[in-house]
Amino acid sequence: MTRLAATDLYKAFGSQPVLKGIELTVPEGSLTAILGPSGSGKTTLLRVLAGFERSDRGVITLGDRVVEDGRLFLPPEERGIGYVPQEGALFPHLTVKRNIAFGLSRHQRRDGRISRLAEMVGLGDMIDRYPHQLSGGQQQRVALARALAIQPEVVLLDEPFSSLDAGLRASVRADVHRVLREAGTTAVLVTHDQDEALSMADVVAVIRDGRIGQTGTPQELYEHPVDPAMAEFLGDANLISCSVDSAVASTPLGTLPLRSGSVRVARPTAAVVMVRPEQVEVWPGGSVPGLTGRVIESQFHGHDTVMRVLPDPSSGIGAIMARTDGGLALSPGTEVTVTARGAVLAWPDESGDR
Amino acid sequence: MARATVAVTVPTVAEATRTPEVPAVHRRRPRALVAVSALVAAVLVLPLVFLLVQAHQVGWSQLSMLLFRRLTANLLWNTVRLSVVVTLASAVIGTAAAWFVEMTDLPGRRVWAVLVVVPVAIPDFVVSFGWVSIDPSLHGFVGATLVMTLAVYPLVYLPVAASFRGADPGQEEVARSLGLGRTRTFLRVTLAQARSAVLGGCLLVSLALLAEYGAFEILRYQTFTTEIFTEFNVVFDPAAACGLALVLVLLGLVLLTADGFARGRARTSRSGPQVARVRPPHRLGRATMPVLAGFGLLALLALGVPLGALFYWLVQGGRTTLPAAASLSSAAWHSAGYSAAAAALATVAALPVALLSVRHPGRTTMMLERSTFLVLALPGIVIALSLVYFAEHAAPSLYQRSPLLILAYAILFFPLALVAVRASVAQAPTGLEEMARALGCRPWTVLWRVTLRLVTPGLAAAFCLVFLSAVTELTSTLILIPTGAQTLATQFWAFTTAQSYAAAAPYATLMVVIAVIPSYLLGRWFNRLPVKAAAPT
Repeated sequence: MTRLAATDLYKAFGSQPVLKGIELTVPEGSLTAILGPSGSGKTTLLRVLAGFERSDRGVITLGDRVVEDGRLFLPPEERGIGYVPQEGALFPHLTVKRNIAFGLSRHQRRDGRISRLAEMVGLGDMIDRYPHQLSGGQQQRVALARALAIQPEVVLLDEPFSSLDAGLRASVRADVHRVLREAGTTAVLVTHDQDEALSMADVVAVIRDGRIGQTGTPQELYEHPVDPAMAEFLGDANLISCSVDSAVASTPLGTLPLRSGSVRVARPTAAVVMVRPEQVEVWPGGSVPGLTGRVIESQFHGHDTVMRVLPDPSSGIGAIMARTDGGLALSPGTEVTVTARGAVLAWPDESGDR
Repeated sequence: MARATVAVTVPTVAEATRTPEVPAVHRRRPRALVAVSALVAAVLVLPLVFLLVQAHQVGWSQLSMLLFRRLTANLLWNTVRLSVVVTLASAVIGTAAAWFVEMTDLPGRRVWAVLVVVPVAIPDFVVSFGWVSIDPSLHGFVGATLVMTLAVYPLVYLPVAASFRGADPGQEEVARSLGLGRTRTFLRVTLAQARSAVLGGCLLVSLALLAEYGAFEILRYQTFTTEIFTEFNVVFDPAAACGLALVLVLLGLVLLTADGFARGRARTSRSGPQVARVRPPHRLGRATMPVLAGFGLLALLALGVPLGALFYWLVQGGRTTLPAAASLSSAAWHSAGYSAAAAALATVAALPVALLSVRHPGRTTMMLERSTFLVLALPGIVIALSLVYFAEHAAPSLYQRSPLLILAYAILFFPLALVAVRASVAQAPTGLEEMARALGCRPWTVLWRVTLRLVTPGLAAAFCLVFLSAVTELTSTLILIPTGAQTLATQFWAFTTAQSYAAAAPYATLMVVIAVIPSYLLGRWFNRLPVKAAAPT
C-alpha cells in the first residue's frame, strides 16, 4: 500500500525550476531513500512534502488524504509528517525531555511515550540535559525521537547524517535504522551518499535534475540501471562500446551473455555495455586470451584492491577499472591481460560513431 | 552608554539588508505584523512631521529671516569644525587603542579593554563637569575638543575592537606571505577589514556631537543644540528654535546619507566559514613602554579626571551639603521609573519591526525599517521640541506629564532596542520555527513557544540598553520633565548650573553607578545563557 505519493510535482524559485514533474510513491512501512547529487532538488522535494514550501503544481497524498493539489494546501502543522532536519534543530531552550514532548498535548505527555522514545534512541539517562550538552549523534537521535513522538504517518529525514563525522556516522545510521524499524514508521531519507542509500533503504529513488530518474530496490538499481549515466552514478562502472546480438555482447574482454532488460537485436548492432569492476579479472602477463594492457594505478584496500588498467592503444578502449581480491596487488607498469565474467547489461549505442 | 552599543552593532544593521532565502512558511506577510510595525514607524517619524508642520506654520519668510543671519553661520562653523576635529581624533584614538588591545601583546590587555570602554558609561555632561570643576578656565573650542574626544572615543573603539576580534587572521597572513611588510599589511588589510566599523563609529560620534547639550553648556561652547535650547527655554522663541532644529536635522540626515554611501562601497567580508582561530599577537617589543604610557595617560584623562573630580566633590561636600537622602532617592526613583517604562515601550515596539524585517524581507519591509532609522538623525532636543509642539496643539493635558517624557525616551532610543532585538531574531534559526510547525503548532503558537523564547536575551538586552541610556539622558528630560518631579540628571543639572559642584556630585555618582554596574552584569549574564551557547545548532 502506498503511504505517501507525489504526482507531477513542479516547483521553481523565481525563474529557476527545481522540481520538474516529480513522480514518487513511498510504500507503507518502507524506508525510501531519495538519492541525488547536490543541486538535484532533493531537499526542495522534501520541504515541499513537509509543507515548508508550496509546490507550483502537482498533487501530494498522504495515505488516502490529499494534502496539496494546486488549490488545497495543508500547512505543515496539519500534515502529521515527522521531520528530522540536517543538523537536528533541537530547541536550544528546552531539555531533551521537553524537546521530545514539544508536539504532544498535555494528556499525551503523561502516557509514558517520552521515556519510551528516549529509551528507544538510547538516551534514557540524558532526558534532563540541554541540547548543547549532547554530542552531534545524540542530538540527531533526540531529533528522531521528537519526530516520532507525534506518531507521524511518515518521517522525513533530510541528510540527517551528513553533519556527523565519518566514525560516528555508521553507528548513528545503524541506530536510526533500528529505531525506524522498531517503530514501524514509513520513512523518507534524503541523501547524496550512495552507500547510505544502498545499505539502509528498502527502496531507492534517484533524483536527477528535478525528476526521478529511476526507482527500485537497491539491488535492482545496481544491477539494472536505466541508462549509462545511472550506471555510473550508482557505483563504479566500466562502459564499453561493442556490438551485441540477440544473446551475447562481443566485447574486447570476451563474449559475455546479456542480462535481462538489455537491448536485444537479431543482427549485430553497436551498443554500450556495463561491466562492473568486480566482474573484471586481471591476469599477470599474457597467459590468457583477452585484452592486454598495463596497470596504471593500484589502490590496496585490504579486503580488495582497485586497479586501473590502460589497454593497448590499438584496442581503442579507455582505462578499465577492476576490483579484485586483496591478495592480488600488481604495481603500476605491470603488463596484464583483462577479461570479464558474468552477464552484462547493454543499451543501444546512441553516440552513433560506430 | 547607549550609543556605545549601537556602535558595536550598526555595521550589522547596514549589512543585514541582504535578503536571505526565506522559506515559504514565512513568505506570506502576516497582516497584523505589518499593521503594528507600520504604526510603530509612524510614531517614530512623528517628531519629524511635527517639526515640518511647525516650520510650515512659522512660514518661510520668517524662517529665512531667522536662519540667514550671522548667528547661524557662527553656529554652523562651531558645530562643523568641532564635529570634524573630534570625529577625526576619536577615530585615531579609538582605532589605535582597539588595535593595541586586540592585536598585540600589550601587557594587561584585559584590564585596558575595560578601562578604555568605561568612559562611555559616564554621561558627557558629567565628564565636562569633572574637567570644568577642576579647571574653570577650560572652555571654548579647545576645551570642548579635549573633553568631547575623551568622552566619545569609545564609540569608535567598541565597533573597531569587535571587528578586529572577528577579522579573519588568514587575510593578514596571506598578505605577509605575498610580500607585504608589517606596515603595508596593516594599512591595506587590517585597516581595510575594520573600515566599515570605523565608519560606523565615526557616524555615532558625529551624531552624538550634534545632539550634545549639557557638556557644551558647561564648557560655554555654542552649537546648534545649545542655541536651540536657549531660544526655546530662555528666550521663549519657539519659531527660532524650530528653524535651527531644521538645520540640525538636515546635518544629521547628511551624515546618515554620507555614511550610507561610504559603507555601500566598503564591504568587508570574509571567505569561508567563521573560524575561531587564535592568532599570535603582534609583538610590541621596544614600543611596549611608550604604548603603556599612552594607555595610562588616556585612562587618566578619560576616566581618572571625571571620576576623581566626582570623588573630590563628594568628599568635599560630605559634611555640609550632602543632599537629604530623601531628595536623592526620590530623584533616583523618578529616573528609574521613567526609564523602565520607556525601555519596556521601546522593546515591545521593536519586536514586531524586527520580526518583520528579519523574517519577511522585501521592499515594503525595508522601507519600514529604514524609516525607523531616521530617528538617528533626530537629536533629543528636536524630539522634545516637537513633542511639546504636539502637546500644546493636540493634547494639552499631556504637556509636562510623564507619558510625554516616556514617549520621548522611547522614540529617542528606539534604534538601540531595534538593533538588539533584530540581532537576536536574526540569530534564531528559522529551522526551529519550521520544526515547531511540523510538530503541529500554529504560527501564533510558534511565536510564543519558540521565537519569543529564543529572542529573550535580545529583549532583555534591548530593555537594559534603553534603560541605561534614558537614566543618563539630560537634554529632552530638561524640557519634558513633569511638573514637580526631578530626576538624577535634572537635579545634577540644577546644582551644576548654580555652581554647587559638591551638591551636584552625589547625583552624578549615582547615575554613573546605575549605568555602569548593570551593564557589567548584563555582559556577564549574556555569556552564560544556554541559548547563546547552543545558538545555531
